[in-house]
Amino acid sequence: MTAPALAPGTRDDSARAPAAPGGARAALHGRSTGSRVAVAVVLAATLLWTLVPLVWMVLGSFKSQADVTSAVPRLVFAPTFENYRNLFTGANDLTPYLWHSVVAAVVSALLSVVVGTLAGYGLSRSVMRHKDRLSFWIISTRMAPIAAVILPLFLMFRVAGLIDTLPGLVLAYMTFNLPFAIWLMSAFFSEVPPSIEESALVAGCTRWQAFRHVILPLSKAGLVTTFVLCLVFSWNDYAFATVFAGPDSQTLPIAASQLVTQTGIDWGQLTAIGTIVVLPMVVAGLAVRRWLVTGLTLGAVTGE
Amino acid sequence: MTVTRRNLLRWGAAAAGAVTASGLLAGCGGAERRPVPPLSPGQDPWRRFAGTTINFISENTAPTAAIAANLQPFTELTGITVRIVNLELSALVQRVALDMASGTSQYQVIYADPYQVLAPYSAGLADLREFIEDPSYPVLEGGLEDFIPTQLRAAGSFEQEGPVYALPYDCPTMIWQYRADLFAAHGARMADDLGFDPTPGPDRTWDEYRRIAAWFTDNVDEVRYGTGHQAKQHDSLMCDFSNVLWSYGGDYFDAGEQVGLLGVRDPGRCTLDSAEAIEAARFYDELLAVAHPASRTWDWDGVGAALRAGEIAMCPNWHEFAASNEEAFPGAMGYAPLPSGPTGSANMYGGCGIGITANASGAERGAAWLFVNWATSRGTQLDNLRSSAGGGTPTRGSVYELPEVVRAEQRPSELPNMLAGPAVRAAWEPDRIGLRPKIPMWNACDTAVFTGLSQMIAGQQDPETTMRGTARRVDQIVARGWHA
Amino acid sequence: MTAAEPTARAGRRRGLTFPGLLLTPGVALLAVLSVLPFLALVAMSLSRVRLLGGVRLEWVGLDNWVRVLTDVDMWWSWVRTGAYLVLTLGIEMVLGLAVALALHRVLRGRGILLSLVLLPMFVAPVIVGLLGRYLTDSTFGLYAWFLQQLGWEGDVLGSPGTAFAAVVLMDVWEWTPLITLIALAGLTSVNPSLLEAAALDGAGYWAGLRHVVLPSISGILLVALLIRAMDAVRYYDIISVTTNGGPADATKTIPIRLFENAFRFFDLGYAAAIGLMMLLLTIAIARAFVRLLGTRGIS
Repeated sequence: MTAPALAPGTRDDSARAPAAPGGARAALHGRSTGSRVAVAVVLAATLLWTLVPLVWMVLGSFKSQADVTSAVPRLVFAPTFENYRNLFTGANDLTPYLWHSVVAAVVSALLSVVVGTLAGYGLSRSVMRHKDRLSFWIISTRMAPIAAVILPLFLMFRVAGLIDTLPGLVLAYMTFNLPFAIWLMSAFFSEVPPSIEESALVAGCTRWQAFRHVILPLSKAGLVTTFVLCLVFSWNDYAFATVFAGPDSQTLPIAASQLVTQTGIDWGQLTAIGTIVVLPMVVAGLAVRRWLVTGLTLGAVTGE
Repeated sequence: MTVTRRNLLRWGAAAAGAVTASGLLAGCGGAERRPVPPLSPGQDPWRRFAGTTINFISENTAPTAAIAANLQPFTELTGITVRIVNLELSALVQRVALDMASGTSQYQVIYADPYQVLAPYSAGLADLREFIEDPSYPVLEGGLEDFIPTQLRAAGSFEQEGPVYALPYDCPTMIWQYRADLFAAHGARMADDLGFDPTPGPDRTWDEYRRIAAWFTDNVDEVRYGTGHQAKQHDSLMCDFSNVLWSYGGDYFDAGEQVGLLGVRDPGRCTLDSAEAIEAARFYDELLAVAHPASRTWDWDGVGAALRAGEIAMCPNWHEFAASNEEAFPGAMGYAPLPSGPTGSANMYGGCGIGITANASGAERGAAWLFVNWATSRGTQLDNLRSSAGGGTPTRGSVYELPEVVRAEQRPSELPNMLAGPAVRAAWEPDRIGLRPKIPMWNACDTAVFTGLSQMIAGQQDPETTMRGTARRVDQIVARGWHA
Repeated sequence: MTAAEPTARAGRRRGLTFPGLLLTPGVALLAVLSVLPFLALVAMSLSRVRLLGGVRLEWVGLDNWVRVLTDVDMWWSWVRTGAYLVLTLGIEMVLGLAVALALHRVLRGRGILLSLVLLPMFVAPVIVGLLGRYLTDSTFGLYAWFLQQLGWEGDVLGSPGTAFAAVVLMDVWEWTPLITLIALAGLTSVNPSLLEAAALDGAGYWAGLRHVVLPSISGILLVALLIRAMDAVRYYDIISVTTNGGPADATKTIPIRLFENAFRFFDLGYAAAIGLMMLLLTIAIARAFVRLLGTRGIS
């Protein structure tokens, strides 16, 4: 994953211990006990605020029906795998939902990265007249309100027979993933100096070869980051799935909302589904943490 | 990269399809309907569509839970596979409308809520007489006459007698559910303090109900509050309020009963601004002031869970919760018709039928009917009652007369939902049953009603302003008409 | 790869350059997924949309627009959406910056701490909403229990004020980490010698923060603000699974109202008009975003 040509700024260096000279650190980080206590308090409060809900969810998924809804919160309880077992057995087996989620998220992320990489490279190297307007149009499609997009898309999908199909869901996810991928990859490619391709061209490569064999390998970090973020966005989608998914294409977030039934909400199973939905995305997201800033600001912030 | 290219092409094709499609946006018709394959001579009519798969979309209600837990008898009888999609009511309405709009039939069998599905989309449902009168289908055992007549009309028809769009499938009705153990333990002291006999029943008034609730809150440690309500900003709030509205002599429209039973397209002027309706709202506001504060976040599930969790001593709720109540407090639950207002006791009927989408075609259309026939049959309704998954209560009169069912109305009961039987039958008396307006634009009116009420019980506006404002909104919605 | 490219749009007079060629499939697909829906949305907003028996658009002129613009309830929803945006964004900026400043002072273990702080960002919003309901349920919710221990007897999602606060805080929980992440990147990139000049300690801390640190990361903070603003207008999942607009309409923001009109009342023409208004709002924010990038010379 080393990318020597990648400008150092494209990485988020903030996570590493800064190598700034001691004097600057002294000023910035402060040495008085008071300020150290203040920092500790802020961070402790932040961690509590952040982690308590997640920990409570994971704990809940291992609790029995009585423990998960006990009036007095229970920290000590006899753990059970009952909730997870119930999710995968019986009338509402979660396996197809899981499969639909995986297929829809992975395929739409993959397609977005492939098409978005080509277009992103094109955008970063293009010298066309209305480039600004094109860029603006691309970013504005990413930011269009989901609720506004769903209506006409539904009518279009309905005519094309894409309602309640995985391809339909994938296509729907591409409405937000594709512009995101184009824009982000374009930002990553902009960090690669054009002189690199020029020297490849001089060495006898075609433009395609220069892109494929020189530029792409240099942009692996960008590719992976874009893929992971597209994956997270589509995996977590709820709005599109409520309208476009049916019995053949229900996804995990829909399964979670369906656990609200007449005999009450099964919080044990719900926290278990929550854990299943959250865990893979946390792992994937943290795996690309160094490039997250660039990714989530669509290349606007590079840490420089 | 080759795989990717193939994908690209495939998706390019999908995209091209979408382009063509949107060109046709205006003026495209529904899919063509294939005929139902005929019955071959000597074939068992129940086995006629063996091998077919159909989808049943249902609200997550008790009978569907029971059927989902035990589909085997139907599969063995017919060889048809049924996939059940269980949804919360508003999600169901959305899916059904979208499915009908798409001209396809993802869901062949539809849980047709009379107010949110049947009235707006009756044109999208098949007239079931097509199957009932066709001798090549198995006979509808007991006939249409066996269904409780009010329910057949309320859940099955729209605008006119004749077409049957759905067969009554469940019949939840709001009744007074209470902790009989607490009434037994504290009844005497309560009677002394309050100056009347607190025994629940239609002889109690709503005002007495409120005072009983407040007494429980102040004097009893076993529960936190006396009463709880399904007063979330949701359909459930309209249901809960309607009982009070009717018992105070108010109604949504002038021809209330007619609008409720058969349904109409144009109900006329909204009468929620009448003096009776405003009085009802005033009382409801007072009632909610003594109720469990979480009432404002509960729908029927929430208030049911609260009763089972021992949070409240009593509540108005659908009688189908009896079986799960019995599990939480064996032997301790009691049921009665709701209290009376100045003009009597009113008990909201919330039953639904199941029907078949008009778009269903081929073997699926026939298979859908076999399922509807079976799911509403005497045997299945009895099995639902026995189900450990809850099960609801029957919609066929003959089932209520079975000795086994009559016996179950007393403890120890093999069929715990029947413990609510006597109360619910009393609630079904013609002068007690409450039918909300069956009009196609009910979804929007309903929202106007429960939004206004929600603002009232949050203390943002007084009852009179609420009712006048709601009536004005309902009039506007009705004036726009319905264009499905 | 080039074999898959040529589409109708490739027929430019001067022929396509290599970047143009690569750009074509993505732009074409995006056009299908955005231009067509946009045109359909405009057409719908001028029509009565009928669904049964095939979709039909019946021309009604500006009826839907007149209704959207004259509906008082609708304007209240805009006010509520505005309040929601200001509150979520404001709290997220302040908290996010505070956490970033604190994290920036940590020399060892910052990586682990940052990872933990970032976790909520990856949680599906629908799970955030359901988890919020679980935590605030007045019978068994952990947070409700704490509130009860503190003597508060109400129900969090039951009163307009607290319910609104709750959905705001759920959004804050999920997205403050994003601001922290961006602000931290900004702080790391500030020239250390600049910071040296400001004595960021004790009494001088706030002055240094205001006059040196904030100005030098203000551009980055603005980017963060705009990104969050666009997403906050988009998302509706959390409200949809917690209060769905209630109680007393306190959380009925524009996206919720749009969904209600579209998929509960099937008043699709009216909903399309609301959708176009939302689109205008996000485009305005996006313009500001792109302008900002232009002045920073990145894009």
